[in-house]
Amino acid sequence: MDEWKPNPAVKPHKKRSWYLTWKYKLMNQRALRKLCQTGAVLFLLVTVIVNIKLILDTRRAAYEEEEESAQDYDDEMLNVEVPRHPVSNKKVLDVEAYSSRSKVYVAVDGTTVLEDEAREQGRGIHVIVLNQATGHVMAKRVFDTYSPHEDEAMVLFLNMVARGRILIFTIKDEGSFHLKDTAKNVLKSLGSQVAPFLSWRDMWTFVGKKGGEVYGEKHAKSPALSTWGDPVLLKTEVHLTSVEDAECHWPDTELNRRRKTFCSKVEGYGSVCSCKDPTPIEFNPDPLKDNKVFDVPVAVIAGNRPNYLYRMLRSLLSAQGVNPQMITVFIDGYYEEPMDVVELFGLSGIQHTPISIKNARVSQHYKASLTATFNLFPDAKFAVVLEEDLDISVDFFSFLSQSIHLLEEDESLYCISAWNDQGYEHTAEDPSLLYRVETMPGLGWVLRKSLYKDELEPKWPTPEKLWDWDMWMRMPEQRKGRECIIPDISRSYHFGIVGLNMNGYFHEAYFKKHKFNTVPNVQLKNVESLRKDAYETEIHRLLGEAEVLDHSKNPCEDSFVPDTEGRVYVMFIRMEQEADFTTWTQLAKCLHIWDLDVRGNHKGLWRLFRKKNHFLVVGVPSSPYSSKKPSSVTPIYMEPPAKEEGAVAVPAVAAAEQT
Amino acid sequence: SVKQHVVRKFLGLISSHNIPVYLIDPLILGLVDKDIEQIRSSPDGPSPECKYFCAPRDFTTFALLDKTWKYEVGLFRTAEKMGFQWLKIINKDPRLDGMDDLSGTEIPLHYIFKLASHAIHLVVFYERSGNYLWHGPLRLKQHMDRKFVPFRKLHFGRYPGAYEKPELLLVSIDDLKVQIPKNPSSFLEEMSHSRFLECRYREARAFFQLYPDDASLDAVEFRKKAKSLLHLAVLTLNNLGVKFWLSSGTCLGWYRQCNVIPHSKDVDLGVFIRDYKADIIPAFQKAGLPLKHKFGKVEDSLELSFQGEDDVKLDIFFFYEEDDHIWNGGTQAKSGKKFKYLFPKFTLCWTEFVELKVHVPCETLQYVEANYGPDWKVPVKTWDWKSSPSNVQYNGVWPVDEWDDVIQIY
Repeated sequence: MDEWKPNPAVKPHKKRSWYLTWKYKLMNQRALRKLCQTGAVLFLLVTVIVNIKLILDTRRAAYEEEEESAQDYDDEMLNVEVPRHPVSNKKVLDVEAYSSRSKVYVAVDGTTVLEDEAREQGRGIHVIVLNQATGHVMAKRVFDTYSPHEDEAMVLFLNMVARGRILIFTIKDEGSFHLKDTAKNVLKSLGSQVAPFLSWRDMWTFVGKKGGEVYGEKHAKSPALSTWGDPVLLKTEVHLTSVEDAECHWPDTELNRRRKTFCSKVEGYGSVCSCKDPTPIEFNPDPLKDNKVFDVPVAVIAGNRPNYLYRMLRSLLSAQGVNPQMITVFIDGYYEEPMDVVELFGLSGIQHTPISIKNARVSQHYKASLTATFNLFPDAKFAVVLEEDLDISVDFFSFLSQSIHLLEEDESLYCISAWNDQGYEHTAEDPSLLYRVETMPGLGWVLRKSLYKDELEPKWPTPEKLWDWDMWMRMPEQRKGRECIIPDISRSYHFGIVGLNMNGYFHEAYFKKHKFNTVPNVQLKNVESLRKDAYETEIHRLLGEAEVLDHSKNPCEDSFVPDTEGRVYVMFIRMEQEADFTTWTQLAKCLHIWDLDVRGNHKGLWRLFRKKNHFLVVGVPSSPYSSKKPSSVTPIYMEPPAKEEGAVAVPAVAAAEQT
Repeated sequence: SVKQHVVRKFLGLISSHNIPVYLIDPLILGLVDKDIEQIRSSPDGPSPECKYFCAPRDFTTFALLDKTWKYEVGLFRTAEKMGFQWLKIINKDPRLDGMDDLSGTEIPLHYIFKLASHAIHLVVFYERSGNYLWHGPLRLKQHMDRKFVPFRKLHFGRYPGAYEKPELLLVSIDDLKVQIPKNPSSFLEEMSHSRFLECRYREARAFFQLYPDDASLDAVEFRKKAKSLLHLAVLTLNNLGVKFWLSSGTCLGWYRQCNVIPHSKDVDLGVFIRDYKADIIPAFQKAGLPLKHKFGKVEDSLELSFQGEDDVKLDIFFFYEEDDHIWNGGTQAKSGKKFKYLFPKFTLCWTEFVELKVHVPCETLQYVEANYGPDWKVPVKTWDWKSSPSNVQYNGVWPVDEWDDVIQIY
């Protein structure tokens, strides 16, 4: 939420002329003048003395704070708590809303609460929600309704805003191109007369109460396709209601007190703030029997995406075996709203002043969060690392509880991750199956303390390196040949879209169809066979049993795999040396799985499912499992497509890392 | 008695909220300690009189382990209904202090519950890296009622403190069931020198602004080795029950940059000669650290040096106390020359260093300045132990016939 800035537009000239007249009159009276002079001198003296005392006091206080401040219990700290927003008894708010091609702003009682004149961003409809009793900004959103689907997001948001809130709308640049009728009707139902007729490059502002009166609306039509409507400035007054009217009357419990604090501050979280029948904020999922991860700290890494964090924490707190006292949310920056979400759920949160920029900033935030986690829980041998844009499977902790001993005992393991990079709807099948992979998927994983403290923390990339923390962790210098354990069906779901490294298309293509386990209490099978040597035995057994597919067929075709269920099949592809992924990449592409870099491999072997059959891919001759190839079979080779100009976009996307 | 009544009510309050506390009141533990055998043997025995909780005092002090409870408003509402007035003292979380720019919620350090003329002081203990418990100082903020209780009479809170995790014992004293440290006398002993010093993280950050940290692979490796050597040394000396502190370069590293100085090449510890034990050498050898050299003798200028992994060496200097100063000795092997390093008198405080609870001189600044002079803030890469220290004095030469004894090199 924005700080309230003082009103810069104070114009005192009227008072000044009055003052001048008064001064002029005094000048003519000598006695009075003398008196005034003495008075002024006295006043000055007093001011000087007061100031000196003030300076001395401040210095002494500062000095005392510097001191080890051990001598006395009375040591005063100079952090007098001042209410951040002046309490105003005013009943009327002045609201200004400005709409134009290149700039929008909204001011409430002379305080700018929105100002956007940046080029090439902030296009669309800006929405601000004010508390009808206090006038505080509760939510601020922009919906780029020039682009598709953004109007749907806006409708969703507006529906979640509680009745009685004050809504302010203003368009920057263009907001009508993909503003469909549904959205227009919602705006109309709020009282807008213009919304149904909004068109190309119109300027528009509107202020109204949800489910109540309209405070004002202004509109400027665009005269021609190539030009914009004239800027409009709407000035209006909004009458505040009493605090009681703006709040719900929930029973007075500890939980509801948290809910009340939250709901009077922020908007856009829907039923959690509904007066009638609000959605719970405590979940009490079933405890896990013999929970091995009950005392493992959980670090949630967050930025400023409070709605994501809200969704994430709901799913985390609903997972069986969760221990809320072990959860800490690390917020990258002094953002209030994510902290409000954390407090709503009664969790502890830590804010981190951003150092450095972009990827390096994320990386430094990770480091600080991990170090802090192990400081706060000095007994912990592990930490679970989660991000704010993940859904957590109901059996997430059950999955970890069954597998964490491997991470403790098997030194050839680097991590346990809840995410299978290759686990799509059409390629993952068995919730009880685990793999060993040479790549580190992230997206919900367990880190061993000794790995962090002895290896990673001391040489963590410094801010000026501008490295992605996860790319760095995947480098051979760090990973040192160790592997991660992953499930066939992921225990996390990556729903984030608007992150640093994400764009809508990218998410649609690579994340949306990812499979996510929803079955509770899955009993993992053969966990012991995931140990280093046992896994080799297991793979050999599997390859021994596997039927070799017909290598004369096109592996991209569906018919490549017979219409069976529950069988094990193997195919061999060409892989000249360890780093030759030419054919694999083409195969991954046509199977519509992760192909932007190589993921999910174990010694030149990939394991996935096709048509509910276990499907093994072995890279020949590089993989040690090549010996399983019958001499009659020629490994399949797939050529990369010739580079065309149209294909240039791909490397750019590939640079986007899946954090 | 009012005191016993208040304690009884308080114990009722916290047990109704399932909050496990234990008694750490020095006065009562002192009384309990006298009868400890009897109390241990009759956990349910009724006591005829109010022998412990009625002793004259203003407070009764209890401890609470932070991780065994969850803050809830309900506790304080119940307390108010029972007639308690209460005060909460919160402050910054020291576990986040060493980290760049992290700010968590402030944590509760002390609670005071007052009823009639008696008050309960509840000290919150936090577990910290290094497997120890920490409690914070008690500092009143401006708006607080400084007459709430006579704060100066409190037994905990003048300084922060560090403690081992205590073993607890459930006993019944004066018909009240209460947990106490299993061994009250050793707890009281521990309490008498529990003062804790936080590392000067702010100053350390300022230091690194001026002199950026060495992030080279060599530096990382050295720090790792020095840390594991120190862990091994601490384990060994603690097992022997030998009190020690961070000395010389290791102490400077803690004080100046809250870390091991990467170009320091060894780890330095100090031990009072009165704490010397003959089995120090075999204990280190058993721990895999062979003796590298031994200079001096117990009566004069003793110094031991053990060989750690890859050239990292552990030096243990023994300190001799005089009336107005403390000194340790140095010996030049080839010439038999003796040196003396003088320090002003100091006491020992706990601190946390590379995930260890260790001692440092409480008067650290004087100690470091004595050793490194007023310019200790400026890193120096070339250091001659015979001439660089500001507190070095020439101390004659060992008689040649003693050389075999006082200059041993392996």
